[in-house]
Parts: sequence; structure tokens; C-alpha cells
Amino acid sequence: MDVEAKRIMALSISKLYSLRTQRGGLRLHRSLLLSMTMRAARDIYHTAQLLRDAEEEQVVPCAPDAATEEPMEISKDSSQTLTPKEVAMKPQESLEEDKENRCASERHSRKRRDKAALEPDFLPLKKAKMDTDEEKQHLQGEILRTNNGNSCRQVDTLTAFPTNRAIVAC
Amino acid sequence: MAGAGGGGNDVQWCFSQVKGAIDDDVAEADIISTVEFNHSGELLATGDKGGRVVIFQQETENKSQPQCRSEYNVYSTFQSHEPEFDYLKSLEIEEKINKIRWLPQKNAAQFLLSTNDKTIKLWKISERDKRPEGYNLKEEDGRYRDAATITTLRVPVFRPMDLMVEASPRRVFANAHTYHINSISVNSDNETYLSADDLRINLWHLEITDRSFNIVDIKPANMEELTEVITAAEFHPHQCNTFVYSSSKGTIRLCDMRASALCDKHSKLFEEPEDPSNRSFFSEIISSISDVKFSHNGRYMMTRDYLSVKIWDLNMENRPVETYQVHEYLRSKLCSLYENDCIFDKFECCWNGNDSVVMTGSYNNFFRMLDRSQRRDVTLEASRESCKPRQVLKPRRVCAGGKRKKDEISVDSLDFNKKILHTAWHPQENIIAVATTNNLYIFQEKVN
Repeated sequence: MDVEAKRIMALSISKLYSLRTQRGGLRLHRSLLLSMTMRAARDIYHTAQLLRDAEEEQVVPCAPDAATEEPMEISKDSSQTLTPKEVAMKPQESLEEDKENRCASERHSRKRRDKAALEPDFLPLKKAKMDTDEEKQHLQGEILRTNNGNSCRQVDTLTAFPTNRAIVAC
Repeated sequence: MAGAGGGGNDVQWCFSQVKGAIDDDVAEADIISTVEFNHSGELLATGDKGGRVVIFQQETENKSQPQCRSEYNVYSTFQSHEPEFDYLKSLEIEEKINKIRWLPQKNAAQFLLSTNDKTIKLWKISERDKRPEGYNLKEEDGRYRDAATITTLRVPVFRPMDLMVEASPRRVFANAHTYHINSISVNSDNETYLSADDLRINLWHLEITDRSFNIVDIKPANMEELTEVITAAEFHPHQCNTFVYSSSKGTIRLCDMRASALCDKHSKLFEEPEDPSNRSFFSEIISSISDVKFSHNGRYMMTRDYLSVKIWDLNMENRPVETYQVHEYLRSKLCSLYENDCIFDKFECCWNGNDSVVMTGSYNNFFRMLDRSQRRDVTLEASRESCKPRQVLKPRRVCAGGKRKKDEISVDSLDFNKKILHTAWHPQENIIAVATTNNLYIFQEKVN
């Protein structure tokens, strides 16, 4: 079951990635369905992983691979919690809009491989990147309604960038 | 002919015409993206990925030869939309025609709305079959005559000329949609229409292009909380205050514009509880509604999701009154269909003139006729092999598994690149237009 889940997860990520290069702009409906499917698959996969690691722990009492166990708080991007092998696939790039942040996350992922104890809290919210694009689009197209929350959202995203880069620098 | 437009299973369908290139190498621009009869059925419009609209006209029936069914011939072809580039967002806007909707005819000219992802246009299609001749100051070719040579005066007269059909854009409704337009629907008041994108529905007046009213907005304040999008919307055929919109979660909301200016709160919510035994990774995707259509009488509406067609009574919200499986044999193949992206295909559906039969497309160039009154269904195929004039279409059968009977086709042999997404039914007669990738098939009821 989790083999299937892993396959669907990888498939979804690569489809999300290829969506970005398609003519006509980001297809909201398609990306929503893809991310929902990916999330469902990821949840199944992680549950299976946790169960398996719990079993292993009982059998062999050594430190488990923290990288695989640390759950992301809020993330559409499952790549951070994949095993190092899976990180080698280009999943984290699929939700990156920004070249600088792509480099940042790659550095993160390398760090994670070596230092499993690193907390993922400071990692960029990949979702925010995708949403920023939506926000910009939305602001362009307003007619009679104003959506007050959005301007706040943009500010949030902008402040996130320097924080990440500062951490990467150190 | 068959005035009621009934399609009971006594009807035998036979081939009438096929339009489009024969060769298998399909140019992307020629892919048909929408098909629509006008209100009388005399005109049939198609839109394609290249932004062109082709209109066919039914020839007036030859009364002396009743065997010879009236044919549809090209009436007008024009470039409706061009590819555009949004420099602000660095986005290319496709010229593909997503939908065409005809306006009811008010005078000699015909009007239709055509839309791509971002812009809706109102086109006027008019005929010119006479021209003025005998001007005093101009020659026939338009050059001005030398005033000194004019010695007499004459009255210019209209003389017949070869029929010329002109299409001209009368209105351009632009810059109102952030997301991709999936539907347009003309109101029964003949003055307004709606356009729907993934998150919003706007109401327009046909005469006014610089303003539209937003009547539905489901965009969450935080896009991370987005869980559903609008997939289709339509006005009620008689009640000008009512419209419905379907969602990617398989729900349909009916809204009444009299209730409030912003119709975010629905008047009715149509939703069928999910069958837990059918749950899979792909449940979300296959429950997404790809099309919603009111019946002609306005009492029912039909929805199409990936595997089924559902008929809803507007007075009953908790479940559909009828459910038809279109291609249930695909349920075990969802993973492969996810891999090849077919699971995202958006099939449309349509009613016949008296709402007794519904039709929808499938793969392998199959399409399904679902007879509501007789509770029977048939699968037919649009293929170049059944193209002899008046050749009766043979019912097709798909073998889901196990032993394949003679004349059956197995699921694994189906060609998933040959899909029928767009179909249309003449409003009064048993004439149907079925679009394969780049060909338009016209089938008619067999006459004895």
C-alpha cells in the first residue's frame, strides 16, 4: 500500500512541476486536484513509515532516522520529510517559484542529509510561493469586491524571504 | 421531422456527415474544443484550439426528396480569439475557445458569445445577398467618376449578389477574470449573461463591456485553505434570477440573485454522500463535476463527473434522482488514467429536445445515449469506418474482464487518445453533433 502511495506521491509531484511550464498559465483546478492527491498519498506513506519505524525500534533499539520522522507543520511539499534517497528526486523544486529559494532549499536538503537533527521550522513555506502568484493575479483582476486579507498575505511572504536567506548564510 | 425530438430506443442512429481533415496527424490548432447548436438548430457552431469558430448551416429540406436528409454545410469561418501575452504576469493566454453560446435570434442577424480563458466576445453574423448598383458619382469598382462626365442622374438599385456571410465582433468583455474562464451562460432575460472562472462568477450586461458585477466569490482569504473550485455554471432556462454552479468537490449550488447582490450563500446545495466502499486516492478527482446542464423544461439538471452522469430534481438536494454509469469498467484503471492524465478529462453532457434522453462522450471515440424514459442505454462509436451515407450505427460493447465475447472490445484495447468530450443535440430533431479530436460527426435518426 505504501509502495503505491509513494509512487502516486512522486507522480503527483512531477505533474505539479510540469504544470508550471504549460502554456496558458497555472491551472488552478488541476493543481488543486494534484496536490490533494499528493497529500493523500503522502499521509498514507508517512503512516506506513511511522508504523514501520516503530516496529523497527522495537526490534533494533538504535536512533531512528530523524529526517524521515519529523513531520512538517504546514506544507504541501512533502520532500522535506522524505528519506535522503527521495530527496535526490527533484520534488522540492516543483513548488519553488524563485531561483534564490530553490538554491536555499537545496542547501537545506543537503544539510538535512548530514545533520539529521536539524529542525525544519525555518524552511521556506513552499505553499507561500505558489500563493504569492495567485495573490498577484487576484489583485490585478479585482472588480467590485475587495478581499482585505490578501494585502496582509503579501507582506507575510515578503518578510519570509530575508529570514530564510539569513539562515542559509550562516 | 420528428418534432418532439424524442430519442427512445426505437431510434436508430445513422451516419450523416463528417467534417474535418481525414489524416491521423492532427494539428493542435484543429482540435475541437466546443460544439453548440443555436436555438432553432439551423446553425451549428464549433470552436477549436486555434481560436477559430466555424459555423455550419442546415440546408433547407428538399421536400421532393424526403430520403435526402438536410445537411450541414459551412456557413461562416472566422478567427475569434488570438493568442495574447499578459506582460504584467508573464503569462501566455491561450486562444483556445472554451465555450460558445448562441443568443436567441431577435432580427435577421445571428449573435453568439465565444470565450477563451480570459476574454468573452460577442459576434454578429449577418448575411449580405444584395448590393447597391448604379451610383451616380462612383464606378462599379468604387473609383470616383470625373464630375464633368456625368450628364444624367439615376436611382441606385439593389441587385442580388452571391451570398456573403460576415462575422464582426460587436463587444469585447475583457479584464474581469483573474482565473481561467470555464463557462458562459446567457440569461433568459436576453439582456445579461454570466461568466465563471475557477473562483468567481461575474454577471454582465450584453451592452456594457467596461463593467461587470461579481456575484459569486469563493476565493478564501488564505489561499492555503483552498479546497474547491468552480467547474461550471449555468442560468436557469426560464427563471432569470436562478443559476447553478458546480464544484470540484462534486457539489452543485443553486443561487437566487434576488436573495442578495452577492450570491456566496447558496439557496440550495445538491450533494450526494460519498460511497465509502469506493474510496481511493482518486476519489476527489473523479467526483469533480465537469459539466452541469439544466433540462429544457427547467425541472431537472444533469451533472457529469468522471465515471457517471447524474440527474437531479431541483426540489431534492440530498441525492440525484437518477445515476448512470458511463464507463464503470474504468474504475479499476484509475491509477493508469492518473498517469496518462486522462483522469482529468472534462466530459460534457447534453439533453435531447424533450429531456427524455441524455448523451455524453467516452474514450475510443465512443459516446453513450442514456434513455431516461425506457431506462436503457447504448454505446455508439464515431468512426471513419462507419461513414457510408445513412449507415446505421451498431451498438458497441466493452468487456470489463473475463472472457471477451465476439464483437466486444476489451478495456485494455481502448484508445484513450480518442476521446469525445463535446457533444450537442439539436433542440428539436434527432440530429446530434459529436466531436472527436479534430473531426465533427453528424448523426441523424434513421428514416424509413
